[in-house]
Amino acid sequence: MGDVAGLVAAAARGDQEAWNALVSRYAGLVWAVARSFRLDDADAGDVSQTCWLRLVEHLGRLRDPERVGAWLATTARNEAMRILRRSGRQVPVGDGHELDVADASQPAPDRGVLTAERDEVLWRAFESLPARCRALLRVLMADPPPTYEEVSAALDMPIGSIGPTRGRCLERLRKNAELAGITVDAGDSA
Amino acid sequence: MRHEKRDYMDERDRTAGAGRNDESGDPMSTLSALAARMDPVPPAVLEAARATFTWRTIDAELAELAFDSTFSDLALAGVRGGELGPRLLTFEAPQLTVELEVSEVGDARRFVGQLVPPTAAELEIRHPSGATPVTADELGRFSADRIPAGPVSVRVVRSGHDPVETDWITV
Repeated sequence: MGDVAGLVAAAARGDQEAWNALVSRYAGLVWAVARSFRLDDADAGDVSQTCWLRLVEHLGRLRDPERVGAWLATTARNEAMRILRRSGRQVPVGDGHELDVADASQPAPDRGVLTAERDEVLWRAFESLPARCRALLRVLMADPPPTYEEVSAALDMPIGSIGPTRGRCLERLRKNAELAGITVDAGDSA
Repeated sequence: MRHEKRDYMDERDRTAGAGRNDESGDPMSTLSALAARMDPVPPAVLEAARATFTWRTIDAELAELAFDSTFSDLALAGVRGGELGPRLLTFEAPQLTVELEVSEVGDARRFVGQLVPPTAAELEIRHPSGATPVTADELGRFSADRIPAGPVSVRVVRSGHDPVETDWITV
């Protein structure tokens, strides 16, 4: 993971390479947080750019540079909530809809089904999860993987409840996916 | 019981998502790879993130966002009424407050602002595509039209003071 505080300090001194390294490390997390609020490409792009611009201003002022990931996650969350509120859309808090039961009646795809098609089915199963599960899993899918502290900041969720909630959400996803004829079990190479 | 709690807080295991170990069967690894194919960070977004570094300045004081009517009771009442009025933003630096009223005019934004304490100043409304120069009169009042929607920050230059720059915010 490298010395994050060192990268922040170098960027604060004007080192573009250090800045690029921070972007490489956290752009996926910022994007995932914006997407966890179901923002479209344009709004998620604005959230991302605002977060990075704000970090440029705060580089030499962060209280705890080692935790810049959590700082970015919190900033992305706040910006996403502003955009949702301004647009009159609801901040996702309650349960969404389950995967349509009708999907279960569709024939299960062949084992040799193309990855692209399989991806579509699994992604739909993921998007059909209740809002809270979808948001948590989307943040957890960020590349590189976020720390518990970053996930906690992104979702305003206590660290202690992330593990258990993740377990329940993965179980729901597994069920949704199985209804659609896909397995997400161990040894399943996607 | 303590051990159960430590389980996911182990020092060797600080990450919450995929890649917690090298076992290929980790479902989070499968999902992370899926997201990389289905919803990757667009290259233009990555490029824009790297490019934000050109906005770095070393001479300015920061005016932090202190108030956003988006989250005030009035704004919530507006949501129930179906329409939000102009957005009020307050940015505070130790010696200067920047008050902004932001109205939506189609895809663009109109700014009406006030510096407190009132003072004449040269301003730049900064946005990723450039900066719009604006002058505040001796009462600290200023306005700007046709600011593109998206991230903005206001830079205030007064004679005899360090420049002040507000937090960036999406309008």
